Amino acid sequence: MATASTTTGFIRLLRALLIPFLALLAALLAGAVVMLLSGDDPLAAYSGLFQGAFGDGKSWARTIRKTVPFVLTGLSVALAFKVGLFNIGASGQFVIGSVFAVAVGINFDGLPAFIHLPLALVAGIAGGLLWGAIPGVLKVYTGAHEVIVTIMLNYVASLLGGWTVYAGGTQGQTPGPLWDRTAGAISETPDVLSSAQLPWLFGPPYRVHYGIFLALAAAVLIWWLIFKTPLGFEMRTVGHNMRAARYAGIRVNYTIILAMALAGGLAGLAGAIETLGLNHKFAPEFGGAVGFDGITVALLGQTHPFGVLLAAFMFGALDGGAAAMQFESGVPADIIQIIQALVLAFVAAPLIIRMIFRLRRQTHGDAGSAVSTSWSGP
Amino acid sequence: MKRFSPMKIFVLLAALALLLAACPAAVPAAETGAADSGASAGGEFKVGLVTDVGRVNDRSFNQSAWEGVVAAADMLGLADDDIKYIETQDAKDYADNIQQFIDADYNVIVSVGFALGDATTVAAKENPNVFFIGVDQFQGELIPNIAGLIFNEDHSGYLAGVLAGSLSQTGTIAAVLGTDLVPPVVAFNEGYVAGAQSVNPDINVISTYHPGEISQAFVDPEWGAATAKQALDQGADVIFGAGGITGNGALQEIATADGAGETVFCIGVDTDQWNTVPAAQPCLVSSAMKLITPGVVDLVSLASEGNFPGGNYFGDADLAPFHDFDDMIPQELKDLLEATKAGLIDGSIDTGYGN
Repeated sequence: MATASTTTGFIRLLRALLIPFLALLAALLAGAVVMLLSGDDPLAAYSGLFQGAFGDGKSWARTIRKTVPFVLTGLSVALAFKVGLFNIGASGQFVIGSVFAVAVGINFDGLPAFIHLPLALVAGIAGGLLWGAIPGVLKVYTGAHEVIVTIMLNYVASLLGGWTVYAGGTQGQTPGPLWDRTAGAISETPDVLSSAQLPWLFGPPYRVHYGIFLALAAAVLIWWLIFKTPLGFEMRTVGHNMRAARYAGIRVNYTIILAMALAGGLAGLAGAIETLGLNHKFAPEFGGAVGFDGITVALLGQTHPFGVLLAAFMFGALDGGAAAMQFESGVPADIIQIIQALVLAFVAAPLIIRMIFRLRRQTHGDAGSAVSTSWSGP
Repeated sequence: MKRFSPMKIFVLLAALALLLAACPAAVPAAETGAADSGASAGGEFKVGLVTDVGRVNDRSFNQSAWEGVVAAADMLGLADDDIKYIETQDAKDYADNIQQFIDADYNVIVSVGFALGDATTVAAKENPNVFFIGVDQFQGELIPNIAGLIFNEDHSGYLAGVLAGSLSQTGTIAAVLGTDLVPPVVAFNEGYVAGAQSVNPDINVISTYHPGEISQAFVDPEWGAATAKQALDQGADVIFGAGGITGNGALQEIATADGAGETVFCIGVDTDQWNTVPAAQPCLVSSAMKLITPGVVDLVSLASEGNFPGGNYFGDADLAPFHDFDDMIPQELKDLLEATKAGLIDGSIDTGYGN
């Protein structure tokens, strides 16, 4: 890519954006049809959605706030894709990241913020790294497929997270280690100490924290890692053809474990940022739906770090505007979830989009390859 | 030419998208201006509602609260546009959804459910001119613009106990309950036991709490059914199911038991479960209700009159109609229940809960 002329590069960029863009468009159109069928006004709904996502300062704040976790879970899934691995576990890694970050964030009273906050963030990344490394290790040493293992680890993470804040009971059960003893029957941790909270970029009522810069930095870092370093080259080679990579002397096992661990670390960072920046505590209901949406975001972003940024922004806008859409037009916010699911369907099956919009088959490197490699991979 | 056709489509669509994007961008400024002038000139009164994670037609708290808003709007002659709800999709969005109504200059915001308590408190402190009604939100400190609509669960439990104790032929009744981690569940049970003992001092009450944590205790119908079955085997002939879907499991188990509706009965909780759990109708004599709808109506009208009561506001407790079992309930029992209700309200009857 670096050797191509700028014009060719530009056309390739537009080509790469074409399928996701059309997928989003098709999903919005299909969403409009669903609304018409249920007797709602799609124009009013989408105008409300747009206002809710970009209408004023608070809307922008909401969209940015929602974008941050999507960027990181999207990067998590995208990075694994590059190595031909399907990380369905971003949800569990998100939860473990939240729990590790909160465990540091509610302890160590008296530490200065410039030590405490990075420590809590690193703890979140470390938790995600560990949780992501497990399926990598199991794949390399036992052949267990990472899809199955990550799905199962999501349940383990969710229940483990619930246990850490379990409120105990009157029948002698032991409460969880992170439970807030003043919370009565509520299963949640105490508030994160102010020295471990991500500071506001714009305070209430905007509530935008510095996490957006961490997310942007992560995207650049992952882009650099994948496309500009020898390790990234090895990762991509493993992703293209594992046997050839092994024959070429690339440390395939090491690369797989590292990629899964890094993917976990990204999702763990997402959990840490949400916990330290926004929720300021952990409770079981702050679980990882964003982890599953990370799959859609990664595919919509063509598994490219900057594509993921765009896709995450789209999803942030959809989620950020959902409540305003219902408020303005009375259309249930569930329609947003339908649209997001349709985006996944259309991106994962580009043939449908090609049929709808009568596009010619493209050469190598389109959206379909990312998906098919990972499924038919070793 | 053909080679560039995808490009052309893309550019066209992109241009179209930009055009579309440019249009609504101009709208918000105009709209907020209109809303401001409307509020100040007409002095209109607007009521919004934020649901707990769930739908507004959930046949439970969310629905009852929304029906209260609708009824209050009818009573006060508000336009349809002046009442709105937002269904929360994610527990992280409570504050955002409340803020949506604040930004649109709503006068009263109803937030439904214990889980919204924190977000409601924060919003109320930031917006002292907006009234907040927190359904099922106990107020530990008095904030003048929040009314926590709560209920004397022991009162409705007591009424259920009087009914159960009077109906029982075997002298054994039971309660299948959500976790004792949650005070209202304990209140339901203690009221139930006291009510049953008031009509039959020797009655045997088998009360079983779900042993799990709060996130499982109310969503475990299998446990509810198994526990109900066990109580039936131990001779219980009236069973009170109080614990969300767990309790519903108990009701449904009893509805399919031998003698359901003839020798064996069940009592539901929170709302009139004749409507919410039709499968329980064969055994369901009544339900121990929290009257959310009238509570919301009262609070909204108090707010509109400028007499908003901050702090905790106790809604009424009552039994649901007997429906198909109406003929089966003797008039003396109906009279006794009426007298008991009056006694609970005026304080002459004490359930013993919290003493």
